[in-house]
Amino acid sequence: MESMIASAVSALQDFTGYIYPNEYELHWELLIVVYPYLTGLVAGAFILASLERVFNVKELQPVYRLSLLSALAFLFVAPLPLLAHLGHPERSLEMFLTPHTKSAMAMFGFVYAWYLMVVLLLEIWFDYRKSMVIWSREKKGMMGFIYRILTLGATDISESSLRFDDKVGKAITIIGIPSAFLLHGYVGFIFGSIKANPWWSSVLMPIVFLFSAIVSGIALILALYMITTMFRFKEISMPCLNKLAELLIYAMIVDFSLELLDFIQRLYESEESINILSHMISSRLFISLIISQIILGSLVPMISLIWARFGRLPVEMRRIVYFIAALLVQVGIFSTRWNVVIGGQLFSKSLRGLTVYKIELFGFEGLLTTCFFLLLPFAILYVLTKLLPPWIIDEKDIKPAEAQVS
Amino acid sequence: MKAPKFPQQVISLAIIFAILLGGLIAARILLVPKSFGKYGHYRADAADEVASLDIKYAGYKACLECHDDIYVIKEKSNHRGLSCEVCHGAAAKHIEAPDEFVPDAPRGRGYCPLCHGYNPSRPTGFPQIITLQHNPGKPCMTCHNPHNPLLPHSPEECSACHREIASQKRVSHHSSLPCEKCHTVPARHTTDPRSALPKKPTTREFCGGCHDKNAASPKEIPRIELASHGGRYLCWECHYPHHPEAK
Repeated sequence: MESMIASAVSALQDFTGYIYPNEYELHWELLIVVYPYLTGLVAGAFILASLERVFNVKELQPVYRLSLLSALAFLFVAPLPLLAHLGHPERSLEMFLTPHTKSAMAMFGFVYAWYLMVVLLLEIWFDYRKSMVIWSREKKGMMGFIYRILTLGATDISESSLRFDDKVGKAITIIGIPSAFLLHGYVGFIFGSIKANPWWSSVLMPIVFLFSAIVSGIALILALYMITTMFRFKEISMPCLNKLAELLIYAMIVDFSLELLDFIQRLYESEESINILSHMISSRLFISLIISQIILGSLVPMISLIWARFGRLPVEMRRIVYFIAALLVQVGIFSTRWNVVIGGQLFSKSLRGLTVYKIELFGFEGLLTTCFFLLLPFAILYVLTKLLPPWIIDEKDIKPAEAQVS
Repeated sequence: MKAPKFPQQVISLAIIFAILLGGLIAARILLVPKSFGKYGHYRADAADEVASLDIKYAGYKACLECHDDIYVIKEKSNHRGLSCEVCHGAAAKHIEAPDEFVPDAPRGRGYCPLCHGYNPSRPTGFPQIITLQHNPGKPCMTCHNPHNPLLPHSPEECSACHREIASQKRVSHHSSLPCEKCHTVPARHTTDPRSALPKKPTTREFCGGCHDKNAASPKEIPRIELASHGGRYLCWECHYPHHPEAK
């Protein structure tokens, strides 16, 4: 019996202050951290692609198709953590069969379906249609058959037909930008509208989520572009890389300013929750918020990117700094999601105590499942790049770009 | 009139979307129950199905008809608010066939702690025990009659009922202070707690007795200028006396 008491006492020592019994354990665990992280990458990658298409940022041509395919690969995986967390994945179909217009969570099905079917798949299809028709004629066997199916029977690649593809693709991208805002703004909206939780309840939440999504998307594409180019033994387009770094810097400055604004407003408002929140930041979230999100994930990459982009650095060094900064940004954005999701459940609604969260290794909500969901999009992306190679454009355009290497 | 000519890709996509939309409509027709949405966002027939289930609970009035002697005792006890079936389980079958079906009575140690096991969220003053420490191995009924759950003896310590406060005070700088230092406790409070409530301090001067800079108390105790500290507020409006270090 003494050992039982000792173990109960040691478990209680992890809690501080007063917490309600239903707050000992967190209900939203690691998988719910992964979900906004993945959707953020989708929205960010798509918005990056739209810059090339709608705003005609020519330097980004080499990563346009890669961004679209990455967005698609991550979008396929984005709802899986939710399904694994909830169990009974078959019940998710109820969202479509009996739509509940007053439930934000239930409407996610439609936001997701709209983004997948009407935005991403259509844009990719129109963009690749010409290539798919050519491949369906050139390739033999199974691959030829797959391409013939993917063309959906639309084999007309006359000039007027391709002009139509281009126009429609542009129109879809224009629709896609607010759709991407909706997709990730929605995730922030879900957290921001929980009135009872002072860590979440903020009208700035959807905006902050959106900008952090753009930051993570650009950083992901920057890193992916460098890795894929290296493994293909091709020359990297420095103007493209520089443009990505510039965009990343601007997005990070806006994102960081918004988060700072949110923080200052909370401090100034000084609501009754401020004491427990500051206690939580200085104890439970110190590593993930101060060290990982703010210092390693925001300040260090921001300063190093500015230094690498606008300072006089050798090209090789510049690439290395870009790459490390892009990885650090991923760490920072993952920490942001962690701090929102886990942080919002670490303090008691009594505002007088803190609980603890320890990650499981096995099980549906464990570390291994999370690693699987984080790696799965890369596997899907690999298959997609084999099926729909996104490199054709950059290989054609790499020659003039090389001349501009600064 | 000449029909408008649509590009090939529009026709292909229109077919795909028409198939998907048709599939969704067909799935809605086939899979959504007919009564769904009649009253709200649920299957209306579910209410009738639930209503047609066998009734399992009889209600305390049914018990009263035969067991009025026990009911009279229980109605005067601290368990007066509880229905018989809370402890004895569903008894509709017992009403129909009293000899064939006898309701269960929890006689072990597992059932009573569902309400009386220590839990910090329970209201202060509600009798709570730590099951592992409270007379280990003995069934609750050995000392307590569930129909009239009087205590076998009056509580020896305040923590028997005020465990949440006691456990907070125990880890605070006030841990060495007995409750009586601040509260005047009538003797009757231990046997009839609600009719004889303890007294609490009412003035700032009470805390000043130890914490004023001129107070004759040990020098380790934190001191304040009682006349100016905290303005017109009373001490316990900012400091929680049972755990004064807590923020």
